[in-house]
Parts: sequence; C-alpha cells; structure tokens
Amino acid sequence: MPMTDALLSSVEQLFSLATLVSMMIGVMAGVVAAAIPGFTITMAIVLTLPVTFTMPPLQGVATMLAVYVGGGSGGLISAALLGIPGTPSAVATTFDAYPMARKGEPGRALALGIWASFFGALISAVVLIVAAPPLAMIAVKLGPWEYFSLILFAVTVVASLVGKSILKGLMMSLLGLFIATVGQDPMMGVPRFTFGIDVLAAGIPFLVVLIGIFAVSQLASEVENPAELHQGQALVSGKMHFRPFAVMREVLGRPGNLLRSSMLGVVIGAVPGAGGSIANLIAYDQAKRASKTPELFGTGIADGVVASESGNSATAGGGLIPMIALGIPGSAVDAVLMAALMVQGVSVGPRLIMDNADLVYGMFLAMFVAAGMVLAFCLISMRWFLRITEIPKSIIVPVVLVCCAVGALALNNRVTDLYLLTGVGLVGYLLAKLDYPLAPLVLGVILGPIAETNLRRALMADEDWTLFFTRPISAALLLLAVLSVVFTVRRLLQQRAGVRAST
Amino acid sequence: MNDATNTVSRVERETDSERGKALANIIFNAGLAALFVGLFLQAGDLPSSMWEPLGAGSFPRLILGALITFNLAIMVQSVAALRRTDREAGVGATHWFIQRRMAFATLAVFSLYALLMPWIGFALASLLFLLAVQVILGARRGRRLLIAGVIAAVFGLGLYVLFSHVFLISLPRGHLW
Repeated sequence: MPMTDALLSSVEQLFSLATLVSMMIGVMAGVVAAAIPGFTITMAIVLTLPVTFTMPPLQGVATMLAVYVGGGSGGLISAALLGIPGTPSAVATTFDAYPMARKGEPGRALALGIWASFFGALISAVVLIVAAPPLAMIAVKLGPWEYFSLILFAVTVVASLVGKSILKGLMMSLLGLFIATVGQDPMMGVPRFTFGIDVLAAGIPFLVVLIGIFAVSQLASEVENPAELHQGQALVSGKMHFRPFAVMREVLGRPGNLLRSSMLGVVIGAVPGAGGSIANLIAYDQAKRASKTPELFGTGIADGVVASESGNSATAGGGLIPMIALGIPGSAVDAVLMAALMVQGVSVGPRLIMDNADLVYGMFLAMFVAAGMVLAFCLISMRWFLRITEIPKSIIVPVVLVCCAVGALALNNRVTDLYLLTGVGLVGYLLAKLDYPLAPLVLGVILGPIAETNLRRALMADEDWTLFFTRPISAALLLLAVLSVVFTVRRLLQQRAGVRAST
Repeated sequence: MNDATNTVSRVERETDSERGKALANIIFNAGLAALFVGLFLQAGDLPSSMWEPLGAGSFPRLILGALITFNLAIMVQSVAALRRTDREAGVGATHWFIQRRMAFATLAVFSLYALLMPWIGFALASLLFLLAVQVILGARRGRRLLIAGVIAAVFGLGLYVLFSHVFLISLPRGHLW
C-alpha cells in the first residue's frame, strides 16, 4: 500500500467516533488508575486488553495507547498532592512537585507536570516516527542469526537492569522462554509439555499469566500492611489556582531541560526492560547536574517537575520504537500491546510497518491524539484530582480483583483460566517477596517463540553453528549481551562490597 | 520496570531475616531443578525433524539445561548466604506469614471466589467476594460496612452488566440456577 493511502486509511480509522470515544475513556481510565497509589500503569493496560478484543485492531491498540499515555500523567497527581508516587514512574516528581504544593502552589505544580508530560509525549512521538521506519528497514535485512543474537541481547539487558541479582533475573527470563514452549511447537506443530491436558494444547494462556503477575500478585502486596489501608489524607490545604497558559510558557521557557529529559526518556524507553520508573530518576538527576542552581532541587523548583514528568512520559514513544521496528517490546507495557496485536491476528516484527502500514501510522497518530486528550482532560478535571486519591485501598483492591477475573474470563470464558490466574497470582506474589523480578519473565514469554523460530531457521539454512559468532552483526550483539552481564555483575559486586565496608 | 521497583521500595519495611529468604530460595530452586530435570528427560522423546537439524525438543532442552544451571547457581549462592547469617536468628517463617496475613487472606478469598463462580455465577460470586474482601480489609461496622455493601452491590452487578452487555464478554452464569 502506498504511503499516502495507508496514512489516509489510518486517519479514517482513527478519527471515527467509536475510536475517539474509546480513546477518551482510555485516557480517563489511565489518568485515574495511575493517580491511585498502588494501581500501576501496567495493571491498567493489562486490564484494558480484554476489553479491546471485540474492537478492530487499530481501535484496540489506540485505546491501549491512550491508557498508557494517560497513565504517564496520572502518577503526578498523587505525587504532587500527597507526596506518594501514584506509580513508580513518578518517584522523582515527588521531590519537587510536593514541596511546591505544600508551599501553597498545588495548582502550579500540577499544571507544570501536565504540560511537561504533554511535551514529553509529543517529543517522543516525533522521535518514534523518525526512528522506527528506518530501523525496520535495517531489521528486515537481518538474518535469523542476527535476530536470535538480538533477542539474546534483549534478554540479558532486561535481566541486568531489573532487580538486585542478575542470576535471578536471567533465571526468570529463561523461565519465561520455557513457559512459551508449552503448547504447539512453532515449526512443526507438535504438542510439547501438554501432558494430555486439553487446556495446555494451545499453550499457557499468556493473558492470564500477565494479569496474574502484574495485577493479582501486585494487589496482594498492596494490602499486606494494614496500617497503609486507610490512606488518602490530603496534606495540601489551600485553594488551587490554575493559570494553565502562564504555566505552559514557564515549561516552554526551559527548552534545554525539556528536550534533554524527553530524549533521555525516549532512549531509556527504547532499551528493553527499562522504562518510566528509571527514566524519571535519571532525567531528574541530569537536570540537577546541568542546572546552575542545583541546590534548589528538592525545594519545589519548576525544573525538577519538568525533568521528571517529561522524562517518564517520553518513555511511551521510546518503548514503541523496538516494538514496531524489531518486534521486541521495550517494556512490559509494550509486551502487552504486542500481545493485543497478536490476539488480533497481526504478526508483529520488522515487517509490521510494511505489511500493516495503516496500523502503524494509526499508532503514531494515536500517540499525538492521546497526548492532546490527556492534556485537555487533566486541565479540565484538575480540581477533582484530590478526590481520586482519597479512595481507600480496601475498596480499590477487591474491585480491581474482580476486573482481573473478568480479564481472565474474557478470552475463552473458561473457569480453568480463573484457577490458573489464582495460582499465577500466588506464585508471582511469593516470587516478588523472594526478590525475583517478574518483568523478565513476561518478556521471555513474548520473545520465546521468536527466539526459537530464528534459531531453528538459522540452523536449517546452514548447519554450521559457528555462523552466530562469525557473522559480524550477530557477533557484535552476542558480545554486547556478554558485556551487559559482565558489567552488571561488576556493579553488583561493587555495591555489595560497599555495603559490607559500611557495616 | 514499574512493578519491580515497587517491590524494591518496600524493602525498608521488611523485617524478616535473610536466613529465611536464603532457605526459601534453596527449597524453591531445588524443587524447580528437579522439575526441570524431569522435563528435560521428557523433552528427549519429542520428535526430531528430517528437514532441520533441531527438532521440536532441542530448544526446550537448551532452555531447560540453562535453567537447571541457574537453579544450581542460585542454590550455591543461597547456601553461602545461609552460612553467613546468624544461626541463632531462626527462620521466622511464621512471623513472616502472620505479617502478611492480609495478603494471603485476600488471595484465599480470591481462590474461593474462583471455585464458587461456576456454581453461583459471576454476578453473585463477585458481590460476595467484594463484600468479603472489604470486611477483611477493615470495613467491619457502621458507615464503612454500609459503604462496603453498596460498593459490592454496585460493582458486583454493575461490572457484570457492563462487561456482558456493553463489551459483549460472556461471563459464567452458574449451574445452580
């Protein structure tokens, strides 16, 4: 399909009433969910997934992107007004937005965050559009050797970035790769590890694993401390004054900070495994280093809010770059998006942009539309934000658990999936308590079939396995994989030595 | 990633001993290793193919082999950690469990919910589940119990209507009626 046709077709699909309405609902859901402490963006996206099954592909993905972009802004609400990050992506936002709110400027703190999020998302969408198509052009030329090595690299990066022990991270990645082998073999269709159980014939249902890991086990750890159940005490008093356009000029008056933080967000988002929760802290730190008045950071300075919020919002576009160009998700959220596309029968990989150009352009456009919707929604509803954060966990947790059950039932309406969900939730909870990172597992499950198919294709084309080391790009990727492990081991050993020296 | 950092930030609150964690790690990895060895042997029976050097079983065996290696490595690490810790400290498993009783109670009610659903249907099961968890989490009397009841009714039935009629997701109806 020529580019203009694809673009026109995507505009037509995106700007239909149904899509715009479902995106608007998605934006509201994302903002509200991320504003509630203990309800993460990933959780919101995972629970949106089943609702999108009945929608056409672009509408479904656009709705999920709306939740994602909305979530990028929602976390700042509780960060600014309660001093608690609504999601881990808003940790650095509490450093300056909360002091600013306590000093009697809660309206300014919120508006700064909202505008910074908007520009961060916008910049990341631009980078996505510029970077993804050429990267995909390169990626389609990669042979199965390079592809397998690329996945190996992605797996080691995820394992080394998340959690405190690389052994545990790698083990979880491998466990994910193994879980993906249950069910039909991708090349010959032979059933594997099904033990004659019908439910396993189509593989372990990925959606159920996702909901169990990112929602049920997470919710269980939210309620473990009885003292935290009655939250929502507003510590910010006084009237909120909103001057959105004055604040917009304030944000745009810091172009250096805004651009640097957003670009950092894009790059961090594009690395598999790293996302908003890392980007906000790094962007904040870099803004502080570059500032002429670093001592003012932490006292309620506008630069701090702008850095953190533009940094975390920019990861949305960044994470989509490897997903659209390479078929490798940049974060758990992108893994969910990929799963959504696969349920719709769209095959995700470097050919996505060629085979489904209208879908990809639609996703690009949806990023802009969602950013605009978030801005409008937040600016209009800012006054009522404080109310959202007052809902106690004793209400949130059971209601969201019921939504989890709906999500698990949505795919097949099978009660067995519900039992599996309970099991995955319990195991996920225990694993998290033992410091096993869960994100590598999810990425492993998504990457498993791609890794296996490419490995087998490579050896089918040429039985010589040394090609993995002699083809230059493949060798470079394998080297990077080894280096990422070596550096992490070194960093962790240094940290451990530091801890021991101090005690 | 989001959820990982969330649990990391909780570490300050953890009062359980390193010893208990190390022990749990050893048991967990030993169990997994045994399971993976079994699966590794089973994967040997998977058919090979005449078209390719790797059959259906090779990739899983590669992964399982690596998994077993990692299980053993984590066990070695945990045994070392166990030796370092104070022998007198005790495992503290009961204490650990009691400290997180709310989480386990919620998960227990959730599994009851799953077991009941095929019998009494989604709507009623959800209503009971919502009420039970809110009561467990502290809505015991007075106004809070009333709010809990209202929320259970509104969301139990509301979510059923929303998903089954608006989003057209079919939900279990229940055998009993």
